[in-house]
This record gives sequence, C-alpha cells and structure tokens, in this order.
Amino acid sequence: MMEQRGSGTPAGAIEKAPSKVGEMSEERVIRALLDAFPTAVTDYKKLKAGVLRARIERRELYRCCQFLRERLGFEHVSMISAVEYDDRFEIVYHITCYGSCLLLELITQTPKDDPSVDSVSSVWGGANWQERESFDLMGIKFNNHPKLERILLPSDYLYHPLRKDFKG
Amino acid sequence: MGPQHPMTHGLWNLRIKVDGETIVDAEPEMGYLHRGIEKLCENRTYTQIIPLADRLCYGSSLTWSHLYCLTVEDLMGLEVPERAEYIRVAAIEMQRIASHLMWLAAYAADLGTLAGFIYTMRDREVFIDLLQALSGSRLTYNFPRIGGVAHDVPPNFERDSLRACTYMEKKLDEYDQLFEGSKVFMMRNEGVGILKKELAMNLGVTGPPLRASGVNYDLRKDQPYSVYPELDFQAISMPDADCYARYKVRMDEMRESCKIIRQAVQKMPKGKWRIVAPRNGPVGTGIGRVEDPRGEGMMYVVGNGTPKPYRLKIRSPIFVTVSAAKQMLVGYKVADVVAIMGGLDMCIGEADR
Repeated sequence: MMEQRGSGTPAGAIEKAPSKVGEMSEERVIRALLDAFPTAVTDYKKLKAGVLRARIERRELYRCCQFLRERLGFEHVSMISAVEYDDRFEIVYHITCYGSCLLLELITQTPKDDPSVDSVSSVWGGANWQERESFDLMGIKFNNHPKLERILLPSDYLYHPLRKDFKG
Repeated sequence: MGPQHPMTHGLWNLRIKVDGETIVDAEPEMGYLHRGIEKLCENRTYTQIIPLADRLCYGSSLTWSHLYCLTVEDLMGLEVPERAEYIRVAAIEMQRIASHLMWLAAYAADLGTLAGFIYTMRDREVFIDLLQALSGSRLTYNFPRIGGVAHDVPPNFERDSLRACTYMEKKLDEYDQLFEGSKVFMMRNEGVGILKKELAMNLGVTGPPLRASGVNYDLRKDQPYSVYPELDFQAISMPDADCYARYKVRMDEMRESCKIIRQAVQKMPKGKWRIVAPRNGPVGTGIGRVEDPRGEGMMYVVGNGTPKPYRLKIRSPIFVTVSAAKQMLVGYKVADVVAIMGGLDMCIGEADR
C-alpha cells in the first residue's frame, strides 16, 4: 500500500498509483504495444529493471504515442534526442510512466534525405520545446508542430550544428 | 522582461503581453548562453568531458558531472565500489542543499526579504566549505570519475558533515520563522502561479515544481540509482500547486538531505573508492537519470568504440519546465512574474547548454 509521504500534508490529499512495477510490468507493456501495432513495433527488449526499448515505424509514431499516453498511462516525455548515423537519423523518445515508474525508449528512424516525423507535442505539451531544439540543432522537421522555429540559436542562422558534416 | 532584468538570474528574456496589469500571454526566450556543449563533447575523450559537465550548471555542478559519470558507466557496464557510491551520495546531497540555498537567497531578495539573502548565503558557505575539503574547489568540483570518485574523503569529514547537518537543521527552523513570519513574503507566494496536476504532468514539469503540484514522483525513490534504496528518507510533495508549495517542498527537501548526508557518512563502508575505467567506450547506448535539484536530469550517450562519444544528449530540467511558463503566468498580475518565475529556480547554464 501507499505509505504516507511528505510532511504537513493531509492524508489522502496526494493520490498516486502505488509505485510498484507489478501493476504493469515491462512484459505487459510490450505485449500491449505488439497487440496494437503488430507490424510497426520491432526490436523490443527489456534493458534492465524498469527500462525497456522498442523500435517503431515512422508512420505509426503519432498513433503509438497517443496509445501510450491514453491506454498505458505514459504521462511524461522525458527526453527527445536526435542522433545522426551514416545512413539514417534516429529520433529517440524516452517516455516515463509516473504510475508504474517505467521508462520506455522508443526509437524511430528517418532516411537522410527526408528527416521528418510527426510531432507529438499535441500528445505531450512537454515535447514542444524539445522538438524545437531537435529542429534547431539537428534539422529534423516535425510535421504539425505548432511553432517550429529555432530556439537556442538566432533565427537567421543557416546551419544545424549537431550534424556531423557541420564544420564550425 | 530581461535579459538584463534583475529577476531573471541569468540571461533569458520573457515576453509578456498585458491587458492593463493582467498577463494575457507570455513566452520565454532562451539561447543567450548557448555554448554548444553537446557538440563540444563529440570532440573530447570520455574523461575530458567530466569538467565540461560541471559547467552545465553553476548552482549544482556536482549533480551534472555525477550524472555524466553514471551515464558512461551504464554504457561501459561498470560496477562502482560501494564506498564511492556513499561518497557520491553524501556529496550530491550537500550540493542539493547548497543549490536550494542559493535559490532561496535569490528568491528572498526578489520578494523583498533582503535579510533572507544574507542568511542563506552565509549558511551555504558551510556546505561549500565541506565540498571544498572533499574536492578542492568551491563551485565546479570535477570530483566524480568514471568508475568512482577522484579521492577518498578528507580527515574528520564525518565529524564536520554531522556538525554541518545539525547546524543546518537549526537554521532551517529559523528560516521558517523568518519567511513565514513575513507578511510580504507570504502575500506574494500564497495562491500565486497555480499549475494544476494534470497540466504539470503533461507539460513535462519535473522536480520540486512537479512535486508541489501534488505528484509524488522523486527519482531517488521511484527509480532509485546509486545507494538511495538503502537510505531512509521521504519524498516531499504538496497538493497546493502554488509558489508557496514550491518553497515549502524545497525547504523540506533540505531537511531530508540533511538526513541522507547523516546516514551516508555514517554507513560508509571501508574499501576502494575508484576502479579503472576503459579508455574506449563500446558500441552501444547508455542512459542516466538523476533527481537534480531542479528536476529530472537525464543524459543519453551513443558510443562507437572510440575514446570519444559519438553523441551525447543532455536533458535539462529547466529547459522543459520553463516552457510551461505561459500556463503558470496567464491570469496573474505583472508583479507576480517575479514570484512565479523565481519559484522555478532558473539555471540558464543547463537550459541553454
């Protein structure tokens, strides 16, 4: 059961799902994802306790994120990172579930000549600025983003400095 | 407001649209301190990045170099000696207190309690001195190493730490009287900047502002790293979701940090404090997550078998938290901006990277 945490708060004022992973284990998340997206989810794996990884096809990303938030309770997107490889871009979403304390590493990839994915900022508001940052530094285009502009660099800057072909 | 406005505590700009005195729209502007640290890391070896990670945040540099070492250890699959873990935990909790005290100093000065600024800065020195005895420097420590810490604790460290904790706990009660007895401070805090629980979760707010919105999520408890599972402490949260709740959460966290330091220095086992780490990182990825004083700090590293990381992504808690500024500010008066934005504990070094 939930123990009383915090000081000076009335009992029962803070509700929170008991932070035991038993509620929704790594295997159950993977099974739910596979049931919903049988062909799009590949390469799933449990990395360590509470952390799992899956790959998703680019065209299903938005629906998958909606599914994760509404059905599986992943309320918080921790980090969105874009990585450039020789033949592709990978966009890595680290998504947290506050209830069961799971961390899901969701990877999607785009070809070099078309670095664009659907924006998930309408699913998680916290993704908004992180997507803008990936656009700014890596040049990934997020479709349907409410305001896809540079955020860290000046708006008249021409390059995407985190790309490997950028020479300072 | 900004980038030169005294309430910003760093270089950032806040554009607000007002209707009379009421805020109708707000947008923060970042990027004044962008140094391209993620790009710099790609041209440094794994060990050379530790001092660079310190420079991410001037307020709590130790948590960032600790997070970096944690991430690279995850990539390399290293087991850190237990003594090193206890030294790290004691050090990062001291850093948490020092960071919260620096926030409190700035916040108190913003809200017109200038005595609070002097008191908290004075007491922060106690912990800065302890960290100086431990690592040799006052602000950017370069103390954690991949596979342990740089050196063992200095003589009498346990005695001094216990003394500092007792001193701090006494002072915290004094602060409570000072701030909660101040009518001005309470009037500018209570019921200001309310951020509802669902909104806070959706907007990616983490750390004390999230816990002040009634979500009891602390990575030290809920996804424990290091030796936190063996220590007895509480995760603090408050249901009120206003500026006063954020203040209260941080004050109680400092009390919990004192408890953690006390246990960590007493439980510290004998043994090695560092193992040798390989020079080259393997091909693969590693992640690290810690509860920074400002929220959820996270790093993602991609290794390609060379001595340099292929890609290092840094997740800054404040960068995401400040994107929720609009939802916190709209509907309040211009004079409340200082309390609301000050209550987030802005650190531009890590937000702009």
